[in-house]
Amino acid sequence: MKVGLFIPCYVDALYPEAGVATYKLLKHFGVDVSYPEKQTCCGQPMGNAGFERMAKPLARKFDDMFMDFDYVVAPSASCAAYVKVFYPHILEGEHECVSSKKIMDIVEFLHDVLKISSLPGSFNHVVSVHNSCHGVRELGLSSPSELNVPQFNKIIDLLKLIDGITIKEPERKDECCGFGGMFSVEETAVSIRMGEDKIERHMATGAEYVTGPDSSCLMHMAGIAKRENKNIKFVHVSQILAAGL
Amino acid sequence: MNKEEFLNKLRANTTQQFDMPDMNINGIKYEDTVAQFISMTETSGGKVVNAKKDDDLNAIIRAAYPDAKVIASNVSGIDASLNPDTVAEAQDLNGTDVGVVNGEVGVAENACVWVPQTMKEKSVCFISENLVIILHKSCIVDNMHNAYKAIRMTDYGFGCFISGPSKTADIEQSLVMGAQAARSVTIILID
Amino acid sequence: MSTIHSKNAEIFNKDRAKTTWHDQTFWALREKHDNMAKQLPEWEELRSHASDIKRHTITHLADYLEKFSANLESRGVIVHWAADASEFNETVLDILKSHNVSKMVKSKSMLTEECEMNPYLEKHGIDVVETDLGERILQLLHQKPSHIVVPASHLKREEVGRMFEKEGISKEIGNYDPTYLTRCARYSLRKEFMDAGAGMTGCNFGVADTGDVVVCTNEGNADMSTSMPKLHIVAMGIEKLVPDYDSLAVFHRLLCRCGTGQPTTSFTSHFRQARPGAEMHLVIVDNGRSDMIADKEHWQTLKCIRCGACMNTCPVYRRSGGYSYTYFIPGPIGVNLGMFHDPQKHCENLSACSLCLSCDNVCPAEVAPGSQIYLWRQSLEALGKANKMKKIMSLGMSALFNNPPLYNAALKFAPLANMVPDSFTNLGHLNPWGVGHSNPEFAKKSFRSLWREGLK
Repeated sequence: MKVGLFIPCYVDALYPEAGVATYKLLKHFGVDVSYPEKQTCCGQPMGNAGFERMAKPLARKFDDMFMDFDYVVAPSASCAAYVKVFYPHILEGEHECVSSKKIMDIVEFLHDVLKISSLPGSFNHVVSVHNSCHGVRELGLSSPSELNVPQFNKIIDLLKLIDGITIKEPERKDECCGFGGMFSVEETAVSIRMGEDKIERHMATGAEYVTGPDSSCLMHMAGIAKRENKNIKFVHVSQILAAGL
Repeated sequence: MNKEEFLNKLRANTTQQFDMPDMNINGIKYEDTVAQFISMTETSGGKVVNAKKDDDLNAIIRAAYPDAKVIASNVSGIDASLNPDTVAEAQDLNGTDVGVVNGEVGVAENACVWVPQTMKEKSVCFISENLVIILHKSCIVDNMHNAYKAIRMTDYGFGCFISGPSKTADIEQSLVMGAQAARSVTIILID
Repeated sequence: MSTIHSKNAEIFNKDRAKTTWHDQTFWALREKHDNMAKQLPEWEELRSHASDIKRHTITHLADYLEKFSANLESRGVIVHWAADASEFNETVLDILKSHNVSKMVKSKSMLTEECEMNPYLEKHGIDVVETDLGERILQLLHQKPSHIVVPASHLKREEVGRMFEKEGISKEIGNYDPTYLTRCARYSLRKEFMDAGAGMTGCNFGVADTGDVVVCTNEGNADMSTSMPKLHIVAMGIEKLVPDYDSLAVFHRLLCRCGTGQPTTSFTSHFRQARPGAEMHLVIVDNGRSDMIADKEHWQTLKCIRCGACMNTCPVYRRSGGYSYTYFIPGPIGVNLGMFHDPQKHCENLSACSLCLSCDNVCPAEVAPGSQIYLWRQSLEALGKANKMKKIMSLGMSALFNNPPLYNAALKFAPLANMVPDSFTNLGHLNPWGVGHSNPEFAKKSFRSLWREGLK
């Protein structure tokens, strides 16, 4: 099974440790992983801001670059979701989009494809799970709280494989943290308020760490927490899952 | 605008058409439909009195509203001082303490009772301070799908599903019974 | 790069306690929705049916309108067709004038808000009395609804109570108990119902098969408005039609569960004809709706049944309030409807969405208002309304991301940005991210550097 690693731009620059952890996890389970070096960004920031046309050349390149892989795996739910949900429409009229069928977030891949049942290592901490919007509502990493569907949470299923961990979820478990890409710089007041509310609910669980599949949400909350001197840490879920590797 | 122009524009702007879905919906069913109806009525702020076939309905109404002075009804056998069939104007029913009407279908999922207009002035259903609805137990169905199959309209061309008293939460989301219509609703369930 | 919405939202957020209260008020409604959804095993089946029924009806609207109007006309109801807001207003005024009506009681209708009917009628000497308690409060305060279902929920009881004192509606000075205030309003409105010459209602659903005008209220004010006056006028947008009772059952079950989290409204009234001795008029209104049908990307917005669920779940609406939007309908659906109504004027609302898509999931008719906002944003450039700063940022990203060597170089020097002290970037107008965030730190080595150095 050939897997192409997609390390989104901001993970590459700001959170390479999430990329490394993802790589280690895939290697640990014997997956043939490679990283096409010409990759940059999926185009979501421009698309969400209203400039989807600027995402088009990126989508085209992305689709070519990952054409020959069985799966494309990314440590970022939102970027994976953008490829999955929006690329077919963006590339409409050019050629049939293939990457949208192959893209997966690392949580989804470990849970649904590799179906892993054990992981080495321990994480002796209380963590609060951040169910990011696009992870929940576009990728289906957990059951959206608005729907009447059977309850599940793939992130929690995986975290449970780690020794010593105490897993919590905040009240309003899948309310938005207020990042939203360009939203956070265009609607600063509401975005910050949403982030503060979210951090507060995560902290109310008694958690030492907030973890989730989306570094962008974590970046937003970490930026607010640092500015406001909140005593809480943020870590991508892949790093906890790779704790023993 | 005339109707033809109005509809022609609509037709011109409609470029694709979709079919109706298959309407076999599995509406919720309850183990005890009557018990569910009673419980939902209470949740909606209404009261339920169970009556036997030969019980004196007037006694039940008096017991439920002992201070009532003006009772309005056209239901045969109900002691009433005002009759919505014979009042000159709807306004004449203002000041009614208890209005008494017949319900035809009860709905377990939401405590709705179908009250078709069977009187000249339907205001009796709304203007009365308190409303009594007489309903046969056998006329309670599980859900709205069944209810809409069961209701029938009278020649007056008006009917209303009533679920509990008039209510509002428009001031700070505080629930208050008795906004503009009846402040209390009592359902008399007859065997 | 702020928008009108974001500026209004910033002002709203200055009152932290009120923002918290507003958020909690509407979150409570969202939770009630969830409760309702979970009590019905067939919930998701109902939603997909609602969507399918609406898609069918909207794309067969002319046929259904003919059937519907013919049914009503066969029972003596007088049907009028209004192409736009001014035709609607003129039609209503004509009806009232020809019946010598000077006072009209009315129940809540967003269509009349859309057409700005009240000020028009008032200008022509008609006393219009809103009878939904929330709407009545707003009318007396000269305010607009801040929500389509619970229009006065932004107000505190003290604000209502003080106004009631001033208007002479409440007599006990300083008594702001909601039950007391509601009683006072009941007493005051009762007098209005008694001598009004006409009653107006909106229409939640029109049933083509039977010709029923269906109106849902909790207060019973639509029934009070139509039980005493000898003239009933219905204001109805064309999208309110459903084919038959089987379809109506689906919407009846969804509307209130989604909106206020109750299993039903207290009153669901079916009007097929005038009451004895009275007259019933129906005004069917287009006002841009037929143009919506022609919009290939957005026509499904017409499926909306105005339940308000998208507002209640919207994290932005809850933290910015109904008045932060430029269109009279706020929240996700309002952002969409504003774009239909006047895109130049209302495109500034498009910023009011983090694309969390919770609204897509609560919407009973699967309108997907959040996903639609993403699509509307794509039309900003063509409208000449793209934000310059956002465009520059996007072009910058585009240049960077389309050029891997440039991107590599940028990554190499990115850690230098860490040397800029946080206090330098805490200047909102230059760096909006710095308003509430500390800057993220660039990693000493990017992932691709680590990869090249032998991670593989």
